[in-house]
Amino acid sequence: MLSIRELTKTFASPSGELAAVDRISFDVAPGEFFTMLGPSGCGKTTTLRMIAGLETPTSGAIAFDGRDYTRVPPQQRNIGMVFQSYALFPHLSVFENVAYGLRNRGVKGTELERRVAEVLGALQLDGFKTRLPSTLSGGQQQRVSIARALVYRPSMLLLDEPLANLDAKLRIQMREEIRRIQREFGILSLYVTHDQEEAMAISDRLALFNAGRLVQIGRPGDLYRQPATLFAADFIGRANFFAARLAGRDASGAKIALAGGPELTVARVVALAPEEAARVPADVDGLLMARPERIGIAPGSRGIRARIGRMQQLGGCQRYIVAAEAAVGEVTVDSWRAGEEYGEGADAALTLDGSDCVLFLRPEKSA
Amino acid sequence: MSDARALPRRPDRFFPLAVGGAAVAIALLFLIYPLANAILGAFVRNGQPVTFANLTLANFERFLTSVSYQRALWHSITAGAAATALATAISLPMAYAVARVAMPLRATVLAVSVLPLISPPFIGAYAWIILLGNNGIFTNLLRDYVGVGLPSIYGFFGVTVALALSYFPYVFLVLQGALAAVDTHIEEAAAIAGASRWRVLRTVTLPMILPSVAAGMLIVFIKAIGDFGVPSILGGEYQVLPTLIYYQIHGFFNLNGAAAIAMVNVALTLLALGALAWINRARAVATVSGTARRAARPLPAPLRWSAIFYVWLVLVVANLPQAVTVLYSFSERWGDTLLPSIYGLENYRRIVGEIAGPALNSVILAGAATIVCLAFGAITAHAATRGRIAGRWAVDLIIMVPFVLPGLVIGVAYLAAFNEGALVLTGTATILIMAYFTRRVAFVFRSAAAAILQLDRRLEEASTICGASWATTMRRVILPLIAPALLAGGILVFATLIGEISVTVLLYSARWKTLTIAIYEYLLGNDIAKASAFGTVTIVMTFALVAAASRLAGRNMADMFR
Repeated sequence: MLSIRELTKTFASPSGELAAVDRISFDVAPGEFFTMLGPSGCGKTTTLRMIAGLETPTSGAIAFDGRDYTRVPPQQRNIGMVFQSYALFPHLSVFENVAYGLRNRGVKGTELERRVAEVLGALQLDGFKTRLPSTLSGGQQQRVSIARALVYRPSMLLLDEPLANLDAKLRIQMREEIRRIQREFGILSLYVTHDQEEAMAISDRLALFNAGRLVQIGRPGDLYRQPATLFAADFIGRANFFAARLAGRDASGAKIALAGGPELTVARVVALAPEEAARVPADVDGLLMARPERIGIAPGSRGIRARIGRMQQLGGCQRYIVAAEAAVGEVTVDSWRAGEEYGEGADAALTLDGSDCVLFLRPEKSA
Repeated sequence: MSDARALPRRPDRFFPLAVGGAAVAIALLFLIYPLANAILGAFVRNGQPVTFANLTLANFERFLTSVSYQRALWHSITAGAAATALATAISLPMAYAVARVAMPLRATVLAVSVLPLISPPFIGAYAWIILLGNNGIFTNLLRDYVGVGLPSIYGFFGVTVALALSYFPYVFLVLQGALAAVDTHIEEAAAIAGASRWRVLRTVTLPMILPSVAAGMLIVFIKAIGDFGVPSILGGEYQVLPTLIYYQIHGFFNLNGAAAIAMVNVALTLLALGALAWINRARAVATVSGTARRAARPLPAPLRWSAIFYVWLVLVVANLPQAVTVLYSFSERWGDTLLPSIYGLENYRRIVGEIAGPALNSVILAGAATIVCLAFGAITAHAATRGRIAGRWAVDLIIMVPFVLPGLVIGVAYLAAFNEGALVLTGTATILIMAYFTRRVAFVFRSAAAAILQLDRRLEEASTICGASWATTMRRVILPLIAPALLAGGILVFATLIGEISVTVLLYSARWKTLTIAIYEYLLGNDIAKASAFGTVTIVMTFALVAAASRLAGRNMADMFR
């Protein structure tokens, strides 16, 4: 088990100390695929590099299986790492690239050959032993770099945006491949990406970062359905926001009224942090968040009044970009009902189900 | 799992510390100490120890009282400035032509343009005497057939011309690079706005490359005021600071006096260097990202061919001294004719018995210095580009300052530092090797630093993550990857050291006489035949080595001097 406690990294900047990573704590279980997700500059890569030993934490602790790793140099951590640029040794053959870590561990002769062949086999690289990295495709280089990281049976695998240099189709293929290999080796893996879709698709659990802080940890579905902040709601999937007034509370949740629309009961109520409360319009108590596929759209005026702005055909569903009277910003609605289409400029009504929504309340209204 | 147990147990600090410590010790002893010592020595009377009570400005008083000191200073400034002006005048049209005119054999032109930098200037200087001296070939031809007498080549005129032709490639290369980097769209925009070709040049192109012109000029000036070989051959009574230093030591062994002159020379150099740093900062801002596109508008044919003719004329004239040296070495009689009348190997037969010793010495000294440069340069380059050490600029400074200081200054500093006291090295090979190292380590440092900067930093991290110690990462990842750059830098060091004279002339001993010293002695003894044969061997060796280095690095020879 990997334990991160109060991990902090500050850099000196012209405007004073800047916390790139600010008191991050989490645990990763053996065999778990754990992803650190966030926009660029959020601290996820710095965190990964501290776990690798490539950066020294300013404070906090990293422990693995009860052993303190915080000040252990990277050579002695016995970890495998896959870099965004792959960082294959350009002057060494595929075989020697993969054998590199074994040689550092004093493995020689037939044992070395056997183990390199084994891992090359697992990554479908059998025929490439003597090739130089520059003669391989991006996907093949990626496999070699994974093979190099796994061959010495590291205690964990760190992956730093490993798919960022691949084209879209290969990216999806490779992420399945990475997941398969991770399961096959049963290795605790830490994955860094800024692509939320990738993170959702590949992870057992993920940690969302923003501005050096850990925003939320959970399984992909939890983060999608129950975002803990407006940032999380926005960053993972698409989010629509409606201005909401608090009408009352009871055991089943908060009763709210939307401007010009019906009243709803919302079970999932989140108190906003002060810095996010500024996004709530002045005359209301909070924002109601609904996912595009959880909003109903129908002709007439029974619901939230709306006007269709644009329609996009996404294949499986129609996406409507809609102006609605209660909404804060544009509303995106994904409709899966076949055959039913609304023209641009048409009037429509939106319907919400309180059990699909999350209510973000001003801090002073949440008590 | 059991693998982890085989990982290095020892904290990985020993190797970097030991290697870094050795590098710091070498820097302190052979780079910083001699220079600091010379600076202090300049403020103490000859022979006295450096104490607070002994501090004096007496050594500098000569610049106020002695006419020969004042002249030497004045000559250094004027000849340096005149050579710079001449070199720039030659280079501007040439750089424009090479950068902008559709030129056949452009790569060859660039490669040939650096030949004057590669061959030792003092050998070339003597060739000018063969051609234009009082009894020179051209002098006699002109007098006999045209009836024109040439001005004496000795003194200001000869020194200026020889320096300009030796060092013009520095300003030429900078200008050519700047002109090639200027976005030609800007010029086209000016032309479309109605400006004539000349007006575009004057109002757009020239202002854009002006900082580069200044930078190139300063490099030439720094080189010219530090040169010893040319004024010592062509100067005669016309003394400059480096020759004055030389005579202070050879005539009087007045180390402190020489140190004071050296400080004045250094002050001039640093002044120019400061200006250069200032201009380079402006240049970095002004440099326009270069589209590699060549100028689209071709010149009219006559203009184009005149430009090509001019470029080759400069190349031929600048390389004339080398050509004359080679030709002379193969001639058995060269009287009043344009070319030798009898060719033969007589000169080489005469030097067969004498060349082996000096040649071997040169190779040993230059080779040893190259090895030191490689080890020190690679390690400091890695530390300076990758390390988390404070004060990278200090590393840069310590390595670059001896590189630009006049050789005679380094020579004086070494004599003063290692002539007595704890570490006496005068007369040994070590003092020459370390002085060579001091003057040339910048070649390896810069070449290695450039190569390391191009390496993905993640390669080192990947190696570390894979369990490699610092030493293993160095040996298996970094060194193999920067080997071509190191080798190229090393060969450049070796090649240019074969032709080194300005440090050697102060530090050599009877046991460690080099090729260049042998040539210098023949020249002083007026044995031009032997000197030219020796010179040819030296020139051919250096050319071949530099060509090999450029091959290895996969770069044009010209790019190795940019």
